[in-house]
Amino acid sequence: MSGFIHEWRLMARSRLALAAVALLLALSTLAVVLGTREITREQRTMDHLATLQAQELAAQARKYAQGADAGSAAYYTFHSTWSPPSSAAFLAIGLRDASPYVLRIRALALQAQLHEGESFNPELALAGRFDFAFVLVYLAPLFLIALLHDLVSGERQSGRLGTLLSMPGAGGRLWLRRAGLRTALVLAALMLPVLLGGWANGTAGVALATVALVTAAYLAFWSGLTLIVATRASDSTASATMLMGCWAVLTLVLPTLASATLTRTVPVRQGVELMLAQRQAVHGAWDLPRETTMAQFFRTHPEWQRTSPLPAGFHWKWYYAFQQLGDESVAPQVAAYRDGLLARQHWTARLGWLLPGVGVQAALHRQAGTDLSAQLAYQDRIADFHARLRGFYYPYLFNDVRFGPQDFAAQPRFDPPSSDEPMPVGSLLGLAWLGATMLLLGARAAGRVRLFPRSRI
Amino acid sequence: MSAAMRIAREEWRLLRRNRVAVIGLALLLVLAVVATFTALDSRRTAVEERAAHQTQVDREFEAQPDRHPHRMVHYGHFVFRPLNLLAAFDPGIDAYTGHTLFLEGHRQNSANFGDVRQSSLLLRFGQLTPAFVLQVLAPLLLVFVGHATLAREREAGTLRVLLAQGVTPGQIALGKAFALSGTALLMLVPAFVALGWIGIEAPGLAVSALALAAGYAVWLLVWALGIVAASAFFKRGRDALLTLLAAWAIGVVFLPRVAAEIAAAADALPTRFETDIAVARDLAALGDSHNPDDSYFAEFRKKTLKAHGVSRIEDLPVNYKGLVGMEGERLTAGLFARYADEAFERQHAQLRRVDDFALLSPVIALRRLSMAASGTDQHSYRHFVESAERHRYRLVQDLNRMQAEKLSFAGDRSSRDNRIGRAHWHGVADFHHEPLAPSRLLRNAAPAALVLLAWLAALAGLLALAVRHLGRATR
Repeated sequence: MSGFIHEWRLMARSRLALAAVALLLALSTLAVVLGTREITREQRTMDHLATLQAQELAAQARKYAQGADAGSAAYYTFHSTWSPPSSAAFLAIGLRDASPYVLRIRALALQAQLHEGESFNPELALAGRFDFAFVLVYLAPLFLIALLHDLVSGERQSGRLGTLLSMPGAGGRLWLRRAGLRTALVLAALMLPVLLGGWANGTAGVALATVALVTAAYLAFWSGLTLIVATRASDSTASATMLMGCWAVLTLVLPTLASATLTRTVPVRQGVELMLAQRQAVHGAWDLPRETTMAQFFRTHPEWQRTSPLPAGFHWKWYYAFQQLGDESVAPQVAAYRDGLLARQHWTARLGWLLPGVGVQAALHRQAGTDLSAQLAYQDRIADFHARLRGFYYPYLFNDVRFGPQDFAAQPRFDPPSSDEPMPVGSLLGLAWLGATMLLLGARAAGRVRLFPRSRI
Repeated sequence: MSAAMRIAREEWRLLRRNRVAVIGLALLLVLAVVATFTALDSRRTAVEERAAHQTQVDREFEAQPDRHPHRMVHYGHFVFRPLNLLAAFDPGIDAYTGHTLFLEGHRQNSANFGDVRQSSLLLRFGQLTPAFVLQVLAPLLLVFVGHATLAREREAGTLRVLLAQGVTPGQIALGKAFALSGTALLMLVPAFVALGWIGIEAPGLAVSALALAAGYAVWLLVWALGIVAASAFFKRGRDALLTLLAAWAIGVVFLPRVAAEIAAAADALPTRFETDIAVARDLAALGDSHNPDDSYFAEFRKKTLKAHGVSRIEDLPVNYKGLVGMEGERLTAGLFARYADEAFERQHAQLRRVDDFALLSPVIALRRLSMAASGTDQHSYRHFVESAERHRYRLVQDLNRMQAEKLSFAGDRSSRDNRIGRAHWHGVADFHHEPLAPSRLLRNAAPAALVLLAWLAALAGLLALAVRHLGRATR
């Protein structure tokens, strides 16, 4: 314990080290504040849209005061869906900046509506968000490198290394203690704003635990790596060069290489293909005998088989039947597209076992519910709701029931489940493995410090 | 040979002996080559896929059977965003924008199936392209290689010797800067080869390719000058290194994000949800073509009847329903254009805010120049979206006109049963996108180029200061 106090005194005297920790604290705070602002803005938008939607529904409802055709109600009534941010979303905005978190749908063919995009500024999305995930993945290692790269060479250059090494029981403990204290300070600088932000945002305890574990494992990895390099490097310059090289390779080069490989090996062109096929199927129905369409519809929906035959003119039930058949005809492409997207997500998570930056990215965004899986889950909820909508309108359409004001009021409402995600155990294990391994290697290297470096790196 | 050249040659000799530096350079070159081939290949795949899809939908449109023209308005058409060859050098926002746009009547859809929504967050680490290598990695390696170029001489005491031999500080700094610029030039070789090839392959883009080559050369020259200046200012190589690394981290990694975040927070964009409702409300306020008592369309009917000198719509020489369709589309398209313009203007305002940060970090100017000259920036995207919208409008109005002219009012009762011949679909839907002219690309890139040149001038000034400092400090 006294050792730590001593180290703390030493550290407190180093203005540069304190300034670095304070700067990181400021950056982490800024990231948490900006993230919270963004999520609050999203929430405000969703509240505003709920008001707008209520007004739209009220305006629509007036048209059905005297009762009308359910088909026309289904055609003209848009229903709002939304994906509320999880309580941890402020830490990692992820895909929420480029994919819709609110979407209006109606009872027409789903696949023509589900892939609609959001309006966002692509150049800003390209630059990326300044959220906690960014501070942790990119900036935190830089601060660790700044604090630890001259751990040994600093002592060597000031001529104290011989004395330090000759002290009884020095071993590697001195370096571990020194590196441990500085890493702990970095951890505190990162986590303190997160905990405060978590308290302000009402973040679930599980999510905060995940963030703490992810941060600790990632810092363990980097302090281990820094120890290995710092204890072997001939001087501070070599150490800093080597560490920055590692950082560039681990957070810039390898992830981009992996991304290029993944894009190529798991193509997802099925998305466009399903849109094209679905349009052909839906619009082709206008050229087919209506009875053929109905017969095909009854094969998958026998419950409506015994309803009255189609009248001579237009009837909405035929219209909705071919809309649904259009969706059903592209089910294989939809499944393939989804599988492709999930495969990309899974390979990214697996890559997290090798690349710590990718692992952190995967774990944080999974916990925050802002990754590709979360986007797919939102689409699933929309699809479920859409199925409920169809289920609601069909009895009116097929049994020729008039659609009155109380029916309009009884239309299903979208109801998103709780958006908090469980702990991403797999990703956490991968990170823990990476962090522990590197830390052990670092500790081993710390025990082998020599007065004169064996090799130049 | 001048003294500066001798110093530069000496510096290169030293570099060749530095194993770490040689390995680093070799790795960067390999990475640049890999990036070039990957980017060329993925651009080719994307272009082929999009072209194949475009051909497919063009063919499908013409293959539609006899139909009511309004059914074709709803059948609509797909257009696919083409990519020019320079997108292989800097794909810019290509992955962040949809490449498929569905054009139909009464609606303006979003461009969909962008990679950003189809990829895991791995995409956010960046894309391996020649532009990425030069923007991000090359300056870092230059810092590693060059930070000690003068500090080393001073620490070893050789600087004093050189000065005593009558070499001026200016000559020394010039030689060092020349040597480091040579190293930077080496890093640029794969990109220059790629750009040269693109210029030959697509002569229309040659000027843009040249502008890109010049832009990246200036970018690395800014770094070379800055590194030599830092190396002259700091007594110890290590301090120069740490300062330069901090400058790199702040300028290249930190500021572009902060700038984007501030721009996004300062002026948020409305969601499509809001815009759709706003358009629908404005439209309802203008007129409802389905409502026979609507005042706007009652007026329209009166005017139409008067223009043809008849008193009943049944007596019009054309099908009134088609005319109403055309008038309705004209109204909606006007609204769409207004809202789309507003949204794009807002986005451009956000980007201008980002561009202000180029005064703090030259990489922001370089990125703007690079994307603008490559035709992969917001301007080029907007140009595509607007040309697709014009195509949508023309297509829908052509079909509406067919309804007005090829179907009689009496014979137009059901969009299912009243049809016109399929020969009408021939040639109406084909979409040919004319990308922004190279001169426009250059004009879009010009302000950023000026900022980059200002940075070059500033760094040259800094180096001049450093040279004076060098002379005084060793005296």
